[in-house]
Amino acid sequence: MSETVVVIGGGPAGIEAARAIADLGLRSVLVEQRERLGGTPIFANYAALTPYFEDAEAAMDGMIAALSERQLAEVRTQTTVTELAGEAGAFTVTLSDGEQIEAGAVIVATGFDHFDPGRERQIYNYYQYPDVLTLQDLEAQLKTHQVVVPSTGKPPERICWVQCVGSRDRNIGNEWCSKVCCGIASKQAIEVRQLVPGSRAYIFYIDMRMYGYWETQLYWPAQEQHHVQYIKGIITEVLERGERLIVRGEDTTMGRPLEVPMDMVVLSVGMEPSAGTKTMTDVLGVEPNRYGFIEVAKPPLDTVSTSRPGVFACGAALGPADLEDTISSAGAAASKAAALVRRASLTAA
Amino acid sequence: MSATANITPVHADSAAYKLGTTYPDVPYEEKERLFAEIKADDRFSDYLYGCYECGICVAACPSARYYDFSPRRVAQAAAREDVELIYQQMQEDIWECSQCFSCLRCPRGNNPGGIITVMREVAVNNGLESARQALRGYTRIIYKIMSTGTQVSPDMLQADAFPDWGPSVAMVSEKLELWRRALPPDTHHTTTTGWEISTKTLVELYLIWHKTGALNMISELDPSLHSLLEEVMEDLLDEEGYELD
Amino acid sequence: MTIPVEKVAGPGRKNKAAFEWTDEHAPEDFHERLFELEDKGELVVQRISGDYIEVPVKYGRTKKVPIGHTWHHKSCGQCGHIPGYSTSIFWVNRKLGIEYEDPRDQTSCTAWNYYASATSNAAAQASVAVRNFAAAYESGRFPIIHCGTSFGHYKEVRHELLAHDHLREEVRRVMDALGKPLVLPEEMVHYSEWFHAMRLEIASRQVRDFSGISVTVHPACHYYKLVEGDAIYDPEVYGGQRTAIVSEVAQALGAEVRDYSTWFDCCGFGFRHILVQRDFTRSFATQRKIRRMKEEADPDVTLTHDTGCVTTLDKSQFAAKAQDPSFATIPVMSEAQFAALAMGAHPYLVCQLHWHAADYKPLLEKMGIDHERAWAQFEEATARLERGEQQYLTWEDADV
Repeated sequence: MSETVVVIGGGPAGIEAARAIADLGLRSVLVEQRERLGGTPIFANYAALTPYFEDAEAAMDGMIAALSERQLAEVRTQTTVTELAGEAGAFTVTLSDGEQIEAGAVIVATGFDHFDPGRERQIYNYYQYPDVLTLQDLEAQLKTHQVVVPSTGKPPERICWVQCVGSRDRNIGNEWCSKVCCGIASKQAIEVRQLVPGSRAYIFYIDMRMYGYWETQLYWPAQEQHHVQYIKGIITEVLERGERLIVRGEDTTMGRPLEVPMDMVVLSVGMEPSAGTKTMTDVLGVEPNRYGFIEVAKPPLDTVSTSRPGVFACGAALGPADLEDTISSAGAAASKAAALVRRASLTAA
Repeated sequence: MSATANITPVHADSAAYKLGTTYPDVPYEEKERLFAEIKADDRFSDYLYGCYECGICVAACPSARYYDFSPRRVAQAAAREDVELIYQQMQEDIWECSQCFSCLRCPRGNNPGGIITVMREVAVNNGLESARQALRGYTRIIYKIMSTGTQVSPDMLQADAFPDWGPSVAMVSEKLELWRRALPPDTHHTTTTGWEISTKTLVELYLIWHKTGALNMISELDPSLHSLLEEVMEDLLDEEGYELD
Repeated sequence: MTIPVEKVAGPGRKNKAAFEWTDEHAPEDFHERLFELEDKGELVVQRISGDYIEVPVKYGRTKKVPIGHTWHHKSCGQCGHIPGYSTSIFWVNRKLGIEYEDPRDQTSCTAWNYYASATSNAAAQASVAVRNFAAAYESGRFPIIHCGTSFGHYKEVRHELLAHDHLREEVRRVMDALGKPLVLPEEMVHYSEWFHAMRLEIASRQVRDFSGISVTVHPACHYYKLVEGDAIYDPEVYGGQRTAIVSEVAQALGAEVRDYSTWFDCCGFGFRHILVQRDFTRSFATQRKIRRMKEEADPDVTLTHDTGCVTTLDKSQFAAKAQDPSFATIPVMSEAQFAALAMGAHPYLVCQLHWHAADYKPLLEKMGIDHERAWAQFEEATARLERGEQQYLTWEDADV
């Protein structure tokens, strides 16, 4: 019986789970396909995290440092899992470099991908106009502490966010709400208003999803201190007129069509199951849910067990999640995985 | 379900969509019945899911730019089953829709234009005066299709019918017969139809309208047109050896 | 402002890669249900029997477009009011040596009436469609549809017939009474898709130089806004983010395609409005389309591929100019007429431009066409008709 847990995916969920396993006295092996740990916050150039505004890179580096201090935690970068054999308590995990690891449990933390606006049915012209960005494109700019209109290099006078891009849409097939984009857009709007005090910021939305404390951490300050304008009515077209973009929507509160110029348009793209998640559901033999995220076997009171006993999932591999959800579910997965391994050892002994 | 069910009626000149009814003389049961007819249509469940009021349909809609018209309000009223509001829309709004289906950008998969199509059919089938008004001047097209098998014909291009289209209309009209004979495709030498259609085909079209109940709709809209058509088609049916059952 | 019809790339777009559809993101393909019903004996599917070209459509799929041996489903508005449109379609087919039928057993699709007045119902509309498809099927030729409204409506009808058993039964009863089978073609093909598929062939026969001609494109709502999967989307054109129809033909003919901010707007036809409430149609067409095209792109001509759109954009401009002499008009025509002109067609004997309202003469001049001489030729030909030397002008007469 093995006292090892293999964790797949080296983003915040995977790092948290791997460290927690080590802290619980078991060996964890964190397998990451890219050349370094950090996951989406690093590779998508996140600047400040929502809702506390801490630096994403610093936060991830901190997590990675904490992990490396644990003797029991091992890391394999530029590696993937290619096969899973055995059963709960006695798995054999095969890696892409041929290494085989005996593990008592497996935790999947393969995260999410950002929705590609090329599949959008509204007319956002992301691939045509340089001044239409996604959330992560703007994060990359925010990381440099400079926000500029890509086509002119000048700071924006008018910037807007369009919510729910690639989410809540029956025709695209992504029917879910991606949970974090309302908060992230508000966070970004606050940052832009701080960096470019002369700018006017608008957020076009269907609903403002401001769970719990986000209401007062993000929504009220955005409106009250930073004068971000929230307009209920989603933009349907982003077009070019002369040198500028114009956006078209309905101002539903006022009950009239809206067509206004913007210097930059930021698409609040949703979360989709990542390519890694889709591959792993196959390799590990766990059921995906109807959206391609990993199915939780016994909701709502068990949030991390998959359809295959001994395999747990956490973070955005399960569905849209914010950072706090991710850290919490990673902890839950670690505790269940560790408990299973302990029980298995005890029975074996 | 309607919030307006037990409220005292207000005057018809009050602002649209205030609580209360703008058609106090029409019994509530009648409005319910009309909505039930709309809802019973096979297509209704394809056309209406939920509405989260995003406004995309209005933003994309050409009619919303020029009229006080909103596909969003149509979808909302239908979803709420607000029979008062739906009746009002049937009387006042539905004929403003351009039937362009730009509203199919709806992320929920709703089809407000399609809902309106069904509402229009119900309005015509039930002889609503507003439907008659909206289609006044239009019935010549119906006569044209039924009697010729094409919806428009060259002889409809007359200067007094289309004064705003410019002098080309008058020119065409003046030279019509000659200019039609100048067209190379041999089905295009017609003036009273778009193209030459065989009598048998014409009769088949008439039979389709008869069997599917579309002819009855015409009699609701314009009874004299309907009898005229029946007369005209009787002979043709005879010629082609068909009998109306 | 020119549009980048090549794949979008460049320094401003560092974070963006090109976009590609994968199968997993495509919605259900109607063919599955169509062939399923065929297997059950519920309907007959007419297949394309001759040569065809595969064109890219939405979601990374492809669609077959038959080259010849076609049954041309004509358009009321074209044949009635814009006869140069249908004449050009036939002329180009003939020039390419394509065998086709111009049927007399075809009715109007009746969709203009349906969208205008709703004086019909789902069963009537479906029966009209199926009757036409049966006529094509019985002729052994594959239907190709001239009008954008017909095309859009028939796609809707197909969708309803595949989804509602009830409706299919009713239509079957009607077809039985007419002695016809319940047929659906395996693809709904619009004539503009044929022009798209054949554009290189057409361009190889081009005799007039269009390199100095600038064009704006107006895509028909009913072509791409409903039952979207059938429409042509090409990753090489607009990065596959807009339908490539008409644009790619114009480009193949050497014209410069220009963008404008109301590209996705309806023309304002309205079906009912253009007949009995034209203030809306002409306001919309002139203010939202023509004026914007002029201000932002200043094209020599605007091309579209639907009867209603040509009618609306062409006929609405007179009133605007009468009200405001500074209103600059733009000539309007179908890409079929444009392609025919490129191949050397006579502007009057073939393209029938004298039926159009907005001034097209500057365009003809730019194309190197002596329109006064052309008009003289037309008048000479019609004089022969007036003198009774001929009853009708023929295809040979049109190639003077």
